[in-house]
Amino acid sequence: MSIRLLALIPVAAAISLALSAAVDAVALPLFLDTTGTILATALAGPGVGIATGVVTSAVNTLRNPTFWPFVVVQIIVALYAWAAARAGLFRSFRTAVPAGLGLGVIASVTSTPISYLVFGCTTTGGIALTTALGKALGLPPLGACFFGSFVSDFGDKAVTFALVTSVLHALPRRTAARFPWALRAIGAA
Amino acid sequence: MATIALGLAASRGLRPGLWPAVLTAAPFWLFLLLLHDVPTTIAIGLRITTMVASFVWLVATLEPARLVEAMIAAGWSASIAYLLAATLSAVPVLKARARRIVEAQRCRGLSPRGGIAARLRALRALALPLVLSALHEVDERALALETRGLVPGIRRTPLAPPPDPAVEQAARWALLLACLAALVRRLIVPRFI
Repeated sequence: MSIRLLALIPVAAAISLALSAAVDAVALPLFLDTTGTILATALAGPGVGIATGVVTSAVNTLRNPTFWPFVVVQIIVALYAWAAARAGLFRSFRTAVPAGLGLGVIASVTSTPISYLVFGCTTTGGIALTTALGKALGLPPLGACFFGSFVSDFGDKAVTFALVTSVLHALPRRTAARFPWALRAIGAA
Repeated sequence: MATIALGLAASRGLRPGLWPAVLTAAPFWLFLLLLHDVPTTIAIGLRITTMVASFVWLVATLEPARLVEAMIAAGWSASIAYLLAATLSAVPVLKARARRIVEAQRCRGLSPRGGIAARLRALRALALPLVLSALHEVDERALALETRGLVPGIRRTPLAPPPDPAVEQAARWALLLACLAALVRRLIVPRFI
């Protein structure tokens, strides 16, 4: 791994953790905690993306230990983002947003068993409340847990993919060309 | 186990140890009561409390800089140690920058009110400058790393490695084996959640 890609990993991980300030400012029910993982993957490939996801989870865990079991989700997000970058799905919002919605489904399918078995579906207040809503609608416990994760992840991942697409297109071409996957991800190579 | 973990957290003092553990674990108990019956709430709640209190104790005890030195002394790659240390130092810097961007955009008339579309446009106006400015720093960081000789694959010697007595090494192995034994027991004797 080159020095530039090594330097990218902590920056991308810190982006994921710092974006919460921007989300709080506009009062949207989003996490954006995989932004750095998806961005690093789109710029530099799956190895850098997975490393970013693991580092993000590790540092988040020092703040709140309940994040660590979800490191698997970060790895799956990186692999999915790599497939999306290979297919050039970051070329426009019209391709990125559906890809993000697809990731929302996959992320919720992945996180549901962890949330159900380890935390009893109480990972965040929002997920607990939507899970309670799912139970009130008559869903079985695991189904209600999936419902809670799905409601949280579905929109979040679509917005994250759209945000990463905005960043990739806003990067100067000369800067983007320094990262091995950036131009391919936006369909320019 | 939860009592032991809370006791360890409390051993670091009320403010850095016990309060963060209790305040982090308390919402889970509330949500568990909302979703489950009392026996399940107690079973999962104690597990989460143990996990939270253990990590709070770890964070209150362990300085990141010493962890990095210990990792290098134990033979870990300097690159891995750098990833952890650099992220820990970059997060507060980027969070402070995010707050400045929020204030600057508010001075320019950005409103966090309105419908979802307006809020998403506002989010873009806040997030793009933050992410782009962070990405422009990557080259500067790479240059600084090269200047300091942090090339992947090179072993470094820590200046003042933390002492690692044989008793602590043996205790680590014993705890690891205990974790594996607990995992095997749990898989062989499955219970509800």
